[in-house]
Amino acid sequence: MLLGVTGIIQLGLGIAPLLRHHSSYRPPVAADLAYVTLAGVTALCALWVLRRKPLPRSMAAGGTLVVLAASSAATAALPPDAFFREPHWSFGLVGWHLLVLLADRPPALLTALAAHTAASVTQFLLGGAPTRTELGDAAIVLFGVTVFQLAIAGLIRLLDRRAGEAAAAAAERERLAIRAALAAQAGRDLRTGFAEQLGATLPLLAGLADGTVDPRTPDARARCALAAAQLRRLFAENDDVPDPLVHEVTACLDVAGRRGIVVTLAVSGDVVDVPAPARRDLTAPVLTALAAARTRARVSVLRTPELVRVAVVADGSAEVTGSAAVPVTSHSRDGQTWMEARWRPE
Amino acid sequence: MATRVTAVVVDDHPAVRAGVTYWLAGGDPPIDVVAEGEDVKAAWLGAGADADVVIFDLHLGGPAPAFGDLRRLAEAGRRVVVYSMRADDEVALQCLELGALCYLTKAEGAGHLVEATRAAAQDRPYTPPSLAGALAGDRSETRPALSAREAEVLVEWFQSESKEFVAHRLGISASTVNSHLERIRVKYARIGREAPTKAALVARAIQDGLIGIDDL
Repeated sequence: MLLGVTGIIQLGLGIAPLLRHHSSYRPPVAADLAYVTLAGVTALCALWVLRRKPLPRSMAAGGTLVVLAASSAATAALPPDAFFREPHWSFGLVGWHLLVLLADRPPALLTALAAHTAASVTQFLLGGAPTRTELGDAAIVLFGVTVFQLAIAGLIRLLDRRAGEAAAAAAERERLAIRAALAAQAGRDLRTGFAEQLGATLPLLAGLADGTVDPRTPDARARCALAAAQLRRLFAENDDVPDPLVHEVTACLDVAGRRGIVVTLAVSGDVVDVPAPARRDLTAPVLTALAAARTRARVSVLRTPELVRVAVVADGSAEVTGSAAVPVTSHSRDGQTWMEARWRPE
Repeated sequence: MATRVTAVVVDDHPAVRAGVTYWLAGGDPPIDVVAEGEDVKAAWLGAGADADVVIFDLHLGGPAPAFGDLRRLAEAGRRVVVYSMRADDEVALQCLELGALCYLTKAEGAGHLVEATRAAAQDRPYTPPSLAGALAGDRSETRPALSAREAEVLVEWFQSESKEFVAHRLGISASTVNSHLERIRVKYARIGREAPTKAALVARAIQDGLIGIDDL
């Protein structure tokens, strides 16, 4: 907006006196040059302002110097007795240029405006002893123009601050909305995740509740054992321990141990970092085989940096289909079932 | 009939010494425990000095493994079966390096102890499942190169504790499983420091036809 004002003032209000009093400038070419220079600065500023980008520091500083120089030149070329009157088109106009150049830098703007006014006044006083009327006229023009421009500068500052506050408030609102959405999503994921990980527990409980599952049958007891072990492993999943895989495997063993199954666990190799989904898949055969075991079982964990192998041998038949990341192999002989899940670190 | 195998038991727990003596006596044929003691002296003095096999508790009265005693026994050509509380891969590998013929954890039962002792008396290695796990997980710089089949036998023996099961799964005979395990131990005997027990183990493997002279 300031740019438009400057342009319009320069074209609309500046050119008329320049042309009208053209021959009286000493020399006229100095006034022309000053006019063209000021127009050039406005055009240059337009490059940034129209793209809604702040003026770079070098442009603001350079532009200010050029504008002040042009102002001095134009003022110096004034005919006598023309200070702060119609032929002195540059005085008011330069203030607008400074506003455009330094709108974002209030201290610099005030300094530049003061310098501009001081320079003009000095040149005015040096031009010869002014009469009282001249002094009075000059003071009115000086006051009117400067106060108006200062008021505009203040207004810009105010608008800027309000716009900044509004933008910050909008950003904060958006941030809160995103957080709320994320929290809601996490809650949904947690619920579906639990439902998945609870595995056989929910349908089993429902079946026991409505009587379609008879707890006296061995099948129902086996399903209960599996569900108990799944829950026990699920609780262990979020424990903060140095070796989560062995911790979860041990959790699987617990329930079987309480059922009177003799389980041995053997672990070899150094701890390998296994992500939770892979741990879930690796322990799945252990859960299933132990739930189906009748008297004894052996669980082993063998880790190398290239491969993690969790195996179970138990007297009972069980079957687990692995996943793409964790394939499961199984083999049965004489009532013994061997199952092995493998996972390769990335 | 061959003379009976004799053993000396070194362990700081009397109950363990009594249990080991009982287990070995129950072997078929039985193994005679001719001396026992809470200290390694039992293996150097008296009847213990002539025993075929030393059953050696690695943690004699302290938390630090008694590697020094083990090394001196192996350097003297004594056949040692290390019998330890702990299933620690590194300690197990270290014992083999020093010249022990077997590393057995106390969690492993009577059957393994009797077999390990009988094998040791004949300069043959015995690889119980926990030791197989340690060998399968061995990623040290100096480890010998194992064939894919040897590595698989190690892992599955560790997993299943049943040579019949491993044999059935891999489509080989149980005795082939044993030869694989022994060949792996021969490979291990030929790396690292030298010990008379390791040399005897390799010599026995050549006698048994497990490896040829050309393989050396």
